[in-house]
Amino acid sequence: MRAPSWSVRRLVGASVLLLALVGCERRPGCTGDYCGAFLIVATAQPDVLLPPVTDLQYARDVTDQIFLKLADIGLSENTIGDEDFQPLLAERWEWDDPLTLVFHLDPRAHWQDGQPVTAADVAFTFDIYTDSTVNSPFRSNLRTISAVTTRDSLTPVFRFHARYPEMFYDAVYHMRILPAHLLRPVPRTQWRSAAFGRAPVGDGPYRFVSWKAGESLELAADSAFFLGRPHIRRLIWRFTPNLDVAVKQVIAGDADAVEVLGQPGNVKLARAAPQLTLYPYPGALYGFLGFNLSTGGDTTKPHPLFGDRRLRRALAMAVDREGLRKSVWEDLAHVPPGPLARLWWIWDPETRELPYDTAQARRMLTWLGWRDSNGDGIRDKDGQPLGFRILVPTSSALRLRYARLLQEQFRLVGADVQLDEVEFSVFNERVQSGRFDAALISRNPDPTPSSSVTQVWTHAGIGGSNYVRWVNPAFDRLVEQAGAATKRDEAKRLWRRAFEVMNDDAPAIFLFSTDNMAAVHRRVQGVVIRPDSYWALLRTWRIPADQLTDRDRAER
Amino acid sequence: MTAWLVRRLAAAIAIVLAVVTITFFLIHLAPGSPCGESERQLSPEVCRRLRAQFGYDRPLAVQYVKYLWALSHGDLGESFALHRPVADALADAIPNTLTLAGAALLIDFVLGLALGVYQAVRARRFGDVVLGNVGLLFNSMPTFWLGLILLLVFSYWRRWFPLGGMSDPVLCPTLSTLRCVADRAWHLTLPALTLGLVGAAGTARYQRAAMLEVMAQDYVRTARAKGLRERRVVLVHALRNALLPFITLFGLAFPFLLTGAVLVETVFAWSGMGRLSVTAIFQRDYPVVTASALVASGMVVLGNLLADVLYAVADPRIRVRSEVT
Repeated sequence: MRAPSWSVRRLVGASVLLLALVGCERRPGCTGDYCGAFLIVATAQPDVLLPPVTDLQYARDVTDQIFLKLADIGLSENTIGDEDFQPLLAERWEWDDPLTLVFHLDPRAHWQDGQPVTAADVAFTFDIYTDSTVNSPFRSNLRTISAVTTRDSLTPVFRFHARYPEMFYDAVYHMRILPAHLLRPVPRTQWRSAAFGRAPVGDGPYRFVSWKAGESLELAADSAFFLGRPHIRRLIWRFTPNLDVAVKQVIAGDADAVEVLGQPGNVKLARAAPQLTLYPYPGALYGFLGFNLSTGGDTTKPHPLFGDRRLRRALAMAVDREGLRKSVWEDLAHVPPGPLARLWWIWDPETRELPYDTAQARRMLTWLGWRDSNGDGIRDKDGQPLGFRILVPTSSALRLRYARLLQEQFRLVGADVQLDEVEFSVFNERVQSGRFDAALISRNPDPTPSSSVTQVWTHAGIGGSNYVRWVNPAFDRLVEQAGAATKRDEAKRLWRRAFEVMNDDAPAIFLFSTDNMAAVHRRVQGVVIRPDSYWALLRTWRIPADQLTDRDRAER
Repeated sequence: MTAWLVRRLAAAIAIVLAVVTITFFLIHLAPGSPCGESERQLSPEVCRRLRAQFGYDRPLAVQYVKYLWALSHGDLGESFALHRPVADALADAIPNTLTLAGAALLIDFVLGLALGVYQAVRARRFGDVVLGNVGLLFNSMPTFWLGLILLLVFSYWRRWFPLGGMSDPVLCPTLSTLRCVADRAWHLTLPALTLGLVGAAGTARYQRAAMLEVMAQDYVRTARAKGLRERRVVLVHALRNALLPFITLFGLAFPFLLTGAVLVETVFAWSGMGRLSVTAIFQRDYPVVTASALVASGMVVLGNLLADVLYAVADPRIRVRSEVT
């Protein structure tokens, strides 16, 4: 037998060395109560980690760990008054007069570079959020605040233009306080692309570590965080664009959590995974089939079909919303009694709605002159068939399913419905410009109904987010009164009346309001998910020492 | 040779410029706007301001001239959606795509070559027929579908490979560089296999045909007549001369790998040019789409140019002809 050649021996030797190096065991790492690495899988990455210039949920999930608000909304999601708000940067607050709100900053609060958080930071933050050059998406939410000044280094003072129930909410919810000493030198025209936005320095429970574009983002617990050291030491987001793959990563143990499981099939898979615990919570999303009341977006020209309220009502009664909900969402959504998100406290199942009654729908259509004169199954009037198109985005498989089911339900009462399935960007452009008959629209509003309902359903939203161009002065008045009500019961009653007015007019068919389901690895304890911000309370979650895995202990 | 190279380079630049121009106008004329991305519900007022800030409210011809002017100064613009210079986003994505494409190319050529030679040696026998049909099956598969199947079987059911991603974000930062590279290679396996297997199926067919042609040549018969072992005849005398089509395939492989990467990167959460481009197209992120087209066309043109040069180097007949013309 020939001896192996020198080169073969070298190759074998190098391979053994490589394997030995690769196979080396790591030294034992972190132990105790403040270990733990928590891997969240998200379907998109943040655009930038600078709160005033982004409204992307994925960015807020991360920045809410880095930057603090003065105070934050409580688990009740109550936005009226200030009773249910939790102190964060501000340890307390008081009202000097009905229009003047004074905060007292926690003197222990500091930036992660060691500088103290001051009232000047708060005033600077307000200045940035309301600057037209920075053009923050939250600017309009702050229009009721006339000024933010400083009384001393720990006392910022907010002045309002007028008194209303959600003053406190507006003062604290939209702004994350920014470090003036680091951001003042950044020209206002360059905020969108400021280097700070990719390596931020904050005052929150976690500090920024790294961001591999499109791949992952890591934060580390700030052991000196003034409200208490977070138990989980490393927070990591992995970006997986496909939700089904993302869910399977969690099921397979490649990730620890996903905030929304999405379609019912994913929930079933996650339920069967023994290492996961599922956490249901009310969602912010609601969806509807909106009838365009104008022609081509021109509100002076009523839509030839949907300009007629009686026709809209007939079509609304032809739709079995409960059946659609069961077919598409199973248990993950409710049929809303109006334009309502599940997380809103004004949800009222007693709200009067149009019934599902196909016989009455048919009678009304016939009474309106829509008859099937040629026996083809489609009603017509003056030679014109009863037909319209539904605009639906291809990006939403669930809305596509709704569109096909609606098409069939309308066919049963003699309406010929065609679908315009378009890319989301095209969908958005067409609904904004009013170039559609009916559209399957979904909204993902803030915790408060006031601003969202005003923007989407009142006269104030014409030219903005009121895509169906529906205006009803009685509804507008009720919305205004409900927004101004200081008592929750009274507000809830007014909201119900407003939605009943809307349901009578049927500018849209309200189809679903989602309930979300998060999946989290069961070794994580103390999990509480706040519906408007999934990871907001993550600093209080923990992994008990006896549940730590090798991955949790690994040291950087 | 130099004059020929200069002519080819000039043609390459013209092609890239044409691609950039067509892409620029197509994406700007496509319905939709940068404010229309699915997650965002920016108010029309904020949108109007942003469009003005980025100059998207100006006439298209003016935007085009401004873009070309900036491009001539090496400025690819700023991404509307990513809040960063396009050059930075590309700098992050290109190495990842090259890694994936390089690994896929390796699988494509090594496997394709081996299979092609094997099939040629056993032409019209059982092994050749089976491999030919299996190859045809792979060649006909959409890459994203094959990727999903590989993910399902080898990652979700068997747990042999990770379910997408480029590395383990928890462990990799805690590991030595070498182990992190090994982890990345582990993550690379399935996406590279997805692209490589589909390519290899095509390459094997080319290689089989080329080998069969060469094996019928007189010099192969002479080598056999001299009593050389069959292995030497095939691998040294025949294969060396059947490798020329490979250079052509190298040029052709680039567009295939880049287009395939668009879908494979999305399926496997591989953060490369493909994923960047797809996201940018849906977001109507004009500067990123145009720059991606610029880079992709540049890579394809360069790949073909390189193939032409290699061909000229490898085959003296071509070099002589090009010098004559």
